[in-house]
Amino acid sequence: MNAPILRVDDLSVEFATREGAVRAVRNVGLEVFAGRTLALLGESGSGKSVTAQAIMGLLDTPPASITSGSIMFEGTDLVTAVERVRRQVNGEGVAMVFQDALSALNPVYTVGHQISELLRVRRKMSRSAARARAVELMERVRIPAAARRVDDYPHQFSGGMRQRIMIALAVALNPRVLIADEPTTALDVTVQAQIMELLTELQRENGMGMVLITHDLGVVAEVADDVTVMYAGRIVERGSVEELFEHAAHPYTRGLLRSMPRTDREDDELWAIPGAPPSPVLTPKGCAFHPRCDIAIDLCRSEQPGLEVIAAGRTSACHLRAEVFDGRA
Amino acid sequence: MSAMMPPDTGPAGAVAVDEPAASTPPSAMKSLRRFLAKPSGALSISMLLVFLVTGLLGPLLVDRPGGLGSEILRSPSVAHWFGTDDLGQDVFAQVVWGTRVSLTVAVAASAIAIVIGTALGLLGAYSRRADAWVTTVTDLMLSLPLLPLMIMVTALVGPSVTTLTFVIGLFSWPEVTRLIRSNGLVVVSMPYIDGARALGATGWRIVTREVLPAVVPLIVVSVLLTAARAVISEAGLSFLGLGDPDSWSWGRIILNAQRSGVISTAWWQTLFPSLAILLLVLSATVAGVRFNDSRDPRLKDR
Ligand SMILES: Nc1ncnc2c1ncn2[C@@H]1O[C@H](COP(=O)(O)OP(=O)(O)OP(=O)(O)O)[C@@H](O)[C@H]1O
Ligand code: SF4
Ligand SMILES: [Mg+2]
Repeated sequence: MNAPILRVDDLSVEFATREGAVRAVRNVGLEVFAGRTLALLGESGSGKSVTAQAIMGLLDTPPASITSGSIMFEGTDLVTAVERVRRQVNGEGVAMVFQDALSALNPVYTVGHQISELLRVRRKMSRSAARARAVELMERVRIPAAARRVDDYPHQFSGGMRQRIMIALAVALNPRVLIADEPTTALDVTVQAQIMELLTELQRENGMGMVLITHDLGVVAEVADDVTVMYAGRIVERGSVEELFEHAAHPYTRGLLRSMPRTDREDDELWAIPGAPPSPVLTPKGCAFHPRCDIAIDLCRSEQPGLEVIAAGRTSACHLRAEVFDGRA
Repeated sequence: MSAMMPPDTGPAGAVAVDEPAASTPPSAMKSLRRFLAKPSGALSISMLLVFLVTGLLGPLLVDRPGGLGSEILRSPSVAHWFGTDDLGQDVFAQVVWGTRVSLTVAVAASAIAIVIGTALGLLGAYSRRADAWVTTVTDLMLSLPLLPLMIMVTALVGPSVTTLTFVIGLFSWPEVTRLIRSNGLVVVSMPYIDGARALGATGWRIVTREVLPAVVPLIVVSVLLTAARAVISEAGLSFLGLGDPDSWSWGRIILNAQRSGVISTAWWQTLFPSLAILLLVLSATVAGVRFNDSRDPRLKDR
């Protein structure tokens, strides 16, 4: 594997709130490689979207502040980059697909206008060339009758079609990295599969690196190459998808996998990790997962486990990582 | 003054956002039809049109009042619809000529207030750093006693139509800023603003192409309400003797009545210009409120 296109190191993000500082992201590191998909997995509130927003420069400062770390894209640290560089990278270097396309597209402009404006501003295309390219892009994401629908407004499209249009916008400038934050959560199951297929297809075609934020372990198993699991703002486990699904090295990951509905197993009952994720203001001392962990020991309540290598390409932040990994605990 | 703001301007920004086809011609026609569907809409717009035509064409048809006439302090008659003043001048002619000045000051002052108010409101809504300043300055301006300040400035600079226009315009933007800012904040927090930022849009682009179109309906309302306020301010300042001594305005007609001591006897000299002020302010305000209501889908049957 060559060098990553996008490399996040030791990233921490805090929000100043009335209840105190919310440490939404803590010392997170990610590496995104060309042509590979990194799945970012974790319960609601674990800091996945905030990580994505930090990469895209979408955090409002204040209340947010990046308290540590770097986001390196092609030799530039996006954390410290000046506004002009930052904007240049957005769209062309790193682009993002949001969960809810209806609200992520401007309701007062036609979809064709939104795509062609982007091309006119960033690619200095003429009005007619940009419009032609917009139709092409809409055809590429398989909008039926694209040439006719180019002058429609976002609300005139179905949810799935709107998501396709947002994808067309995101890939319009051929970004090197595409971040998709729960791109299919708002859609029907059948449409979900089509959208995922389209995303992976575009990724292969353009050789993009992709960060896929999702709750859906089934999707992860299908499209991801690498998996990073987050809990309470921290990374708790990292590995390739096959190995991680084969045997987890962190009790939280193990719980997630166990709660996954499986068709290949007889015991069809739904299982869930007991308890709820901690409040973002009052994270438990020691390992943040210890109140919910079935194998917690005394050390877990007092000391925060570090993210350490357990095997080649595998890391885990658990005092009992070796035991969990070997299936002894 | 702020009592004339429509009671429910808050969500209007959000409304504008929710109506996707708002900027397209077919829907503009539709909203016009909806605006006129209520008598208040049709009436106020007709009234404004009457004033506009009077201001534009009136002075071409009616002689400029001036000099001394022989018929002094006549009550309204066929020859002098609005009567005559103590110099024998026709009050109808004065009101017609005054319409032009009042409208000019109203439109120009409101234009100044709208430009400044919208620019600062958008700046405050978009930039958190600038917002602290914008809010502080706006609140400060809103808390100032406006009339004494306007009097002072006008007296210092020297009364003229231009002075009046600038003084009124430069003191009227804070209301606009407050309205545009609060609704701009709603728009700025919309996910599609993040969508634009994620695609590398500049702050300028976001403000002018994403936020501004969404608050345009509010700007229309603001224009009408600010113009209404400007008419009152203009009349007030003119009545206080701070108007342009060389041009007719409604305030000046009443001032003349007061100066010549006939304010209690020659009722026609005060009634007609007052009526003109009242009708113009009322129709502009009603039109503004009606426009706001006709855009609000929650009030569809109104
Ligand atoms: N603007 C904000 N102000 C304060 N806290 C915030 C803000 N945005 C996010 N947070 C906090 O940051 C934490 C992480 O949120 P984030 O949106 O990244 O979660 P997530 O992993 O994407 O969850 P989900 O799966 O629900 O999308 C949450 O606890 C949330 O309360
Ligand atoms: S460190 Fe302890 S509490 Fe945390 S996951 Fe590992 S065993 Fe459980
Ligand atoms: Mg999220």
